[in-house]
Amino acid sequence: MAADAEEEQVLLVSSLRQWDSWKQLQREEVALFSTFAVLFVTMVFFYVGKVLKRKVSNTILLVGLSDAGKTTLFYQLRDGSAHQGSVTSMEPNDDEFILHSESTKKVKIKPVHIVDVPGHARLRPKLDDFLPKTCGLVFVVDALDFMPHLRSAAEYLYEVLTKTVVARKKIPVLLACNKMDKITAHSTDFIRKQLEKEINKLRLTRSAISSADVTSEISLGVEGEPFKFSQCVNQVSTAEMSALNGQVEEVERFIREQVKP
Amino acid sequence: MLEQLLIFTRGGLLLWTWQELANSLKRSLVNVLIRSWLLEERAGDSCFQYADAAVAAAYTLKWRFHNQLGLVFVAVYQKLLHLLYVDELLENVMREFCLVYSPRQTNFPDFDDTFRQLLKEAEANSKRKGVAQQNPRKGLEGKRHVMRFEGKGVKSAGKESNEKTSSGGDDEADGEADSKGKTFRNGDGGKNANGSHLSGSSSYNDDNDSLMSRNSHETAFDVSRLQLRNSKGHGKKGTTPLDAQNSSSKEDVGKKKAKKNRVWGDAPPPSKLDFTQPRYEAVQGEPNVAVVADQGLSLMDKDEEDEDDFQVDLEEYNFTAKGDDEKKVPTKMGWLSSLVQSVAGKAALEKVDLEPGLKVLRDQLMTKNVAADVAAKLCDSIAASLLGKKQGSFTRISSTVQAAMEGALLRILTPKCSVDILHDIHQAKEQGRPYVIVFVGVNGVGKSTNLAKVAYWLVQHDVSVMMAACDTFRSGAVEQLRTHARRLQIPIFDKGYEKDPAMVAKEAIHEALRSKQDVLLVDTAGRMQDNEPLMRALSKLINMNEPDMVLFVGEALVGNNGVDQLTKFNQKLADLSTTANLRLIDGILLTKFDTIDDKVGAALSMVYVSGVPVMFVGCGQTYTDLKKLNVKSLVKSLLV
Repeated sequence: MAADAEEEQVLLVSSLRQWDSWKQLQREEVALFSTFAVLFVTMVFFYVGKVLKRKVSNTILLVGLSDAGKTTLFYQLRDGSAHQGSVTSMEPNDDEFILHSESTKKVKIKPVHIVDVPGHARLRPKLDDFLPKTCGLVFVVDALDFMPHLRSAAEYLYEVLTKTVVARKKIPVLLACNKMDKITAHSTDFIRKQLEKEINKLRLTRSAISSADVTSEISLGVEGEPFKFSQCVNQVSTAEMSALNGQVEEVERFIREQVKP
Repeated sequence: MLEQLLIFTRGGLLLWTWQELANSLKRSLVNVLIRSWLLEERAGDSCFQYADAAVAAAYTLKWRFHNQLGLVFVAVYQKLLHLLYVDELLENVMREFCLVYSPRQTNFPDFDDTFRQLLKEAEANSKRKGVAQQNPRKGLEGKRHVMRFEGKGVKSAGKESNEKTSSGGDDEADGEADSKGKTFRNGDGGKNANGSHLSGSSSYNDDNDSLMSRNSHETAFDVSRLQLRNSKGHGKKGTTPLDAQNSSSKEDVGKKKAKKNRVWGDAPPPSKLDFTQPRYEAVQGEPNVAVVADQGLSLMDKDEEDEDDFQVDLEEYNFTAKGDDEKKVPTKMGWLSSLVQSVAGKAALEKVDLEPGLKVLRDQLMTKNVAADVAAKLCDSIAASLLGKKQGSFTRISSTVQAAMEGALLRILTPKCSVDILHDIHQAKEQGRPYVIVFVGVNGVGKSTNLAKVAYWLVQHDVSVMMAACDTFRSGAVEQLRTHARRLQIPIFDKGYEKDPAMVAKEAIHEALRSKQDVLLVDTAGRMQDNEPLMRALSKLINMNEPDMVLFVGEALVGNNGVDQLTKFNQKLADLSTTANLRLIDGILLTKFDTIDDKVGAALSMVYVSGVPVMFVGCGQTYTDLKKLNVKSLVKSLLV
């Protein structure tokens, strides 16, 4: 009996020991497994977060030639005033805010991320940095000093419309004609027609050569027909505004349409 | 008297302005400064001079950057007044404004009083300095002092006081600085004091000229001289060189007619030496000249693969400074401290920190055949844009510098206006006139060869081309072009040798207009940039015929001389232009690109100096070897 008891004791001890060592091993394994599990879960969260975020972008780009009034428009949208004026931008103005006109509303609105890309030709490559996350594009045109810059404006607009990102994601474009408060400013219709004519000419010459930057791979419009903005895959609309005087309602409406609250 | 002082963000919003007189804000001036100077990567220069011919006023603009907050401070004053307190005033204003500034604030009404105080102080100090040193140091020595002051002293005062702003320093350029114990600036302070006195003294009209010349030597191409030429005062000057050149050309022709044939040995001298057929030729078949059917697509029309982003590893380069460099340079840091620094992020970047990285980049650019002063100016401009910037954590200085250099190079090489020639040609066609392109350049760069390549490319795009042989000097030039014309089956206009190229070009344009050609390619004789009569002849050709594009042909093998060529060509064209429109070089054609492996720096020097884009690149000797410049791959080859 005593022998049995001893045997049992020994067995118990040995099994305890076994269990101890096994527990230790398990503890190590558990630690290892738990680390991996945590890592995996974190990665899953990030990935899911990214995927979800990708679907909802709230970036609007303001592009156009130098002196069109993009910086003024930016500050109108943000602060409701053009402050003391502006000079040629050397860097993009990038900010996320609630539109000034809507800041009085009590409802919780989603802030809009607006980027004012410099219009100077040398800083054009900066546009490519912001395009992937854009959900809408405002192309600002100077309606007052329009004809001398018609060609450069048409070339810039053509460049924008033929970028693969714009065509693939069907980013809507708003042609905002600025400085409409002046009497000698051209009408929106005139500007639209002139731009269509110029782009038509451009696509005939550009289809023959390819630029070394390989950005314009899309051909615009329908072959054989004169170009019209309605032929673009993405939606191109027009609007009037005066950034200096604060008449930017049409632009704000466009922004609100793109960035769902 | 200071006319204006403006403070604005790099994004373009004006934060605060001050005007001496109540006239309109010269915002267009600032825009010109930004577009033509700061965005051209010339921010390292000391000042910018602008002459407005319409208003008959000339201004000097000086600027300072505050890179951490992204602010720019610009002071405008009349060029004739050499205000010396402007630099220290800008420094003081920068210091005071940064205490008041906060990112969301856009209105600074209280700063007016602060500024008025600073202005009074600065003016008082400069007057005091002017009165204190009464020793007139005129003559050669004086001029040397002045030159040093304008060129380097200004910059050094600026940079040193930049370092001392945090210590709340007083007048940095004060000659009596030794009383405050800042001995190391005595040397500079002394120079500055002398220089400032000289400009304030009565003999400053002489110094004015030396300053002007110094300034024009500072910049590779002084825009102010350009605009001055437009004013009426120089109109008369333009006519006399033309008369002189006309008479000299007559003399030359007379001299050549008097030349006798050389007699070699006993053989009778050949009766006829000139074998050209002096008449307008359409396509004539000579049996032994094969017509080029189609050699395939010109490389202009072939896509180039875009390469991925690249990373230059500046760690490979040795960052230790040389022994004679008196600035402290951290040569070897323990790995732990460097780790801590890289995590915590360094404090504001100082010149000493940027110096090694910039030196490495400068040497790197020079080994890639970029002209020495262009590389130096680029590095200065990058230093100006990085000084005082706070680095984020986990960034090395080398990567910051390299990113800045990449950005700068991309900005310079991106063309300011479109390089779409076909569009221009179509526009000219609509107006019913031929599009005239003139090829200019020094001897032996490949004008005639590349002219033929351009003609081939245009013919492939269904554009009717005509050549004009205005190289009436070099033996065989007309025959060369005639052979190309026969092979490409396009008409050629020539008048043989020893005719006035300007008249030949004029008649060629008439002929092209009459036969309704779309494009006229004009070949000119090669000439050295220092050859005054030949440059005058070229200027006469361009002014008389007003081509749509003046293409400067330069070879990619050229070194520092390329900068000289372009500047002198531009200068001569500007000086001798009589018409209201200033015709300068409109584009660059870079040739012999296949002979340089990766030493592509000549493209950068030429574009930096002239500001015009590279339209074509010639990379071989067959008709298809013409392509467009790929900016990204060029930047990559420069920095790798």
